[in-house]
Amino acid sequence: MIQRHQRIVFWCLVVCIIGMGVLLAVGRQRGRQRIAALADEETPLDAPTAMAETVTLDLANDADGSIAPASRQIALPEEPNARARALIDHLIAEYALPGSAHALPPGAAVAEVFLVPLPLVGYTTDSTSSATKDGGFRPTVPVAQSDPDPVQPKQPGGELAVIDLHSTFVNQHPSGVEVESLTLRSILGTLHANLPQIEQVRFLVDGQARETLAGHADLLRTYPAADTTSGATAANGGQSN
Amino acid sequence: MIVLDPAHGGVDSGSQISDTTVEKNVTLALAFRLRSLLTARGFSVVMTREEDAAAVPNAAGSPMTLDDRAGIANRADAAACLVLHATRSGNGVHLYRSELEASKAQPFVAPWMTAQAAWIPQSQRLESQMTAAFSRSGLALVASNASVRPIDSMTCPALVVELAPSGDDADSINDTDYQQRVALAIAGELVFWRSQVQPPSRLPAPASATVRQAAPSDAAGAQP
Repeated sequence: MIQRHQRIVFWCLVVCIIGMGVLLAVGRQRGRQRIAALADEETPLDAPTAMAETVTLDLANDADGSIAPASRQIALPEEPNARARALIDHLIAEYALPGSAHALPPGAAVAEVFLVPLPLVGYTTDSTSSATKDGGFRPTVPVAQSDPDPVQPKQPGGELAVIDLHSTFVNQHPSGVEVESLTLRSILGTLHANLPQIEQVRFLVDGQARETLAGHADLLRTYPAADTTSGATAANGGQSN
Repeated sequence: MIVLDPAHGGVDSGSQISDTTVEKNVTLALAFRLRSLLTARGFSVVMTREEDAAAVPNAAGSPMTLDDRAGIANRADAAACLVLHATRSGNGVHLYRSELEASKAQPFVAPWMTAQAAWIPQSQRLESQMTAAFSRSGLALVASNASVRPIDSMTCPALVVELAPSGDDADSINDTDYQQRVALAIAGELVFWRSQVQPPSRLPAPASATVRQAAPSDAAGAQP
């Protein structure tokens, strides 16, 4: 004869087992839905969507002030802005590895990269009286910049890359003419090697212009994207021994 | 005339070279050492700062900007302008000239941000000769191009001289013998450079500028 309290314990255990089973099933279903949602509209824009490809990173060396090309297999996004950003992120990640010849702090360096077609064109509101629309709005019209000698593309389709750096990266960057110049030259060379349509590069920090990277290298000027490896620099007058 | 620009100063300490050494003190010490050697060789030397904080001349208390430093250099009409920096990365001496592309001649009114362009061939020659001088002195050297303000605004043969430690110890940058070797190599080379420097040719003034220049004297002549 089974006692009453034993029957109560038995049925309580049965109820608990069924409840846990239901919770597990619901949790699993929610997990599936979350993964499905990530694979659809919430996929990050710069997630790699292609197979790994061979890219060239221009890697700097503080010991002799040189920059040498190195090949890496990296999966990059297709969209050019995201591609440029991913290239720089991979480059900076290389420098954050232990034993790097150009040691930089780990962490995200680039907030965004914007590719702008050259020559630069600005926009202004149309001031002609006939341009006023209903409600008093005036349309915008493209205008050439006031600079009489604007930056012109060397090739049709040439672009200006505006690289917006994180202030956390810039504030932790080692200070010195050589170490700062090598970082910039490394970025310029890597962009030139992999995205040849980029002809000019400008730098921002948290969306604002900043005078220097870490007290030395000029961040206000527009840099030409060019081959910055040591062989090319030596041919232009630079040398080291 | 030689212009020495010991970079940083005051609240701008520059890079932290070691626990006890900051860049602004190293650049000033090297500048004083160089000034002594250059003066002994018959040069007149202008320094953009002679104490910790750089102040605008005739405006005591106003901190000196990078443009102010370039202005001092440009008014000196110098045979060479040396911007002195220091770093803990690398070894020996790092020598840089401007990254600007050389222009054939100096325009009548040079754009401030690219005024160095007309002087690039001279700066390139000075860098080449300075490189040879450092090699003769047995000093480790990296020579290249860099964009370091205010060198792009200078109208003189201009170089950035960045002093790095002589060995693995960052504090070796303060070694007086080491700094003296570097200063001797620079001063010795500038003696040879003095007879070689040639200002770039100047483009003629545009017609409108000529008219504007002539206007004041014309007006004076018209007065009774």
